[in-house]
Amino acid sequence: MKEEISAGRKKLEEELRKNLGNIFVPEAKLFGMVCGCVGFAADMRGLKSDDVEVFRDSINVILEEISNSLGVKPEFIYARKLPGSDEVVTLTVRELCSRCRREFAGSKAAPRPDIMILKKWR
Amino acid sequence: MRLMVPHPGHFPALKDIIEAKEAYGLKEVEGVYMGGSPEVMGSGRGVLHAPLLAEIREQTEYAHQHHIKMNIALNSPCSGGHHLTFEGYKTFKWYFNELNDAGVDGVIVAEPYLVELLRDYPMKTIISCLAYVDSPQRARFFEQLGADMITVDTNINRHFELLEAMVKGVSCEIKVIVNEGCLYRCPFRYSHYNLASHLSSLDQPKSPLFAPDFYFDKCVNIRLREPAQLIRSAWIRPEDVKEYEAIGINSFKLSGRTKAVNWIINCMRVYSRRSYDGNLLELLDCPQMLRYIFYIDNRQLDGCIARWKSCSKHCHECGYCDELTREVLTVIK
Repeated sequence: MKEEISAGRKKLEEELRKNLGNIFVPEAKLFGMVCGCVGFAADMRGLKSDDVEVFRDSINVILEEISNSLGVKPEFIYARKLPGSDEVVTLTVRELCSRCRREFAGSKAAPRPDIMILKKWR
Repeated sequence: MRLMVPHPGHFPALKDIIEAKEAYGLKEVEGVYMGGSPEVMGSGRGVLHAPLLAEIREQTEYAHQHHIKMNIALNSPCSGGHHLTFEGYKTFKWYFNELNDAGVDGVIVAEPYLVELLRDYPMKTIISCLAYVDSPQRARFFEQLGADMITVDTNINRHFELLEAMVKGVSCEIKVIVNEGCLYRCPFRYSHYNLASHLSSLDQPKSPLFAPDFYFDKCVNIRLREPAQLIRSAWIRPEDVKEYEAIGINSFKLSGRTKAVNWIINCMRVYSRRSYDGNLLELLDCPQMLRYIFYIDNRQLDGCIARWKSCSKHCHECGYCDELTREVLTVIK
């Protein structure tokens, strides 16, 4: 598991750097939430929301690959921005609990204005 | 009942809220409120979206097409004196002009000076709960300053004599927040909202905070150690709204503009229907994480309002809420 997380962090940083220049991934983690969601989250520096829009598909492919390697089903992929800005500070892949499937990921709109939905389960 | 609903700020969320209101026929929903620009003023809550004026205009027009009012919250209890500078004065005058031109229906403020400034506009002046209006006298002061509506300090949500006196003591409308989960007489309330005001504005502390969540963490820890504090909080059950209507309060506000859209929609449905089966903590705005730890069976709280209405709030002598906690609250395994 340690190897997969480290490799995932490195891969994400390297792949984004190929297209976007100096992107920095200072921390990546596997998490489990009290509600039942589990996931993979990578803190980002240097990434903007426009970059995420343009490279959405390739970012999704990388994140799905990392989450699969960690045993997390990539059901909901999103970017979190600093409120009121276009700086993306986290990329997250989540395997959803039933509550968050309905409440967090179930709306047509993004659940909150600081969140950009990149992919939803089908 | 007229219900004011939180709006996180992004246009798709407004569309979801209005679509749900219309689909479920929730005629009680009168309007929405969202934060304004942090460049002008911070807010009582974290700001997740900074709507530009063009966006406020567009959203207001959309809301009006659906017979929904749009209010803008500029309810920071502290702006560090900026409003009393010439620069601040001009900024607020300009912003209020723009909001008025955008068709906004009301502005929610806590600062008395801004209440007076708003007198020059047809927009309603709505006093925030962060003005801590907790007596008929204070309500009267704000009415004289120009308030059209006063959202009372949630600490007095269960002080019915005071509420009734306030309704009788002023001509403007009295509103209560129904789903705030804050500690009753919270010692952190003023400090926490002042901190939120600054962190949600451009007037940031000069060096990074080493404990930005200090008040929030304390608040959660107090309740983990003493769950009866959850029962003492000033929330109002959907079933108990009628008790407030009976004393002349017809305007109700849902808290939660930093929460997920579908959570807001669920609360809107529950309060419009005045009935709920389940964990009461699912409806409370803050701190939301406690719903994963505790279960408060809302049905078991039927009738408790009668006791709270006449309660002396001398908790150290009474023990009612402690006993009730043992009956209705369980720890989720």
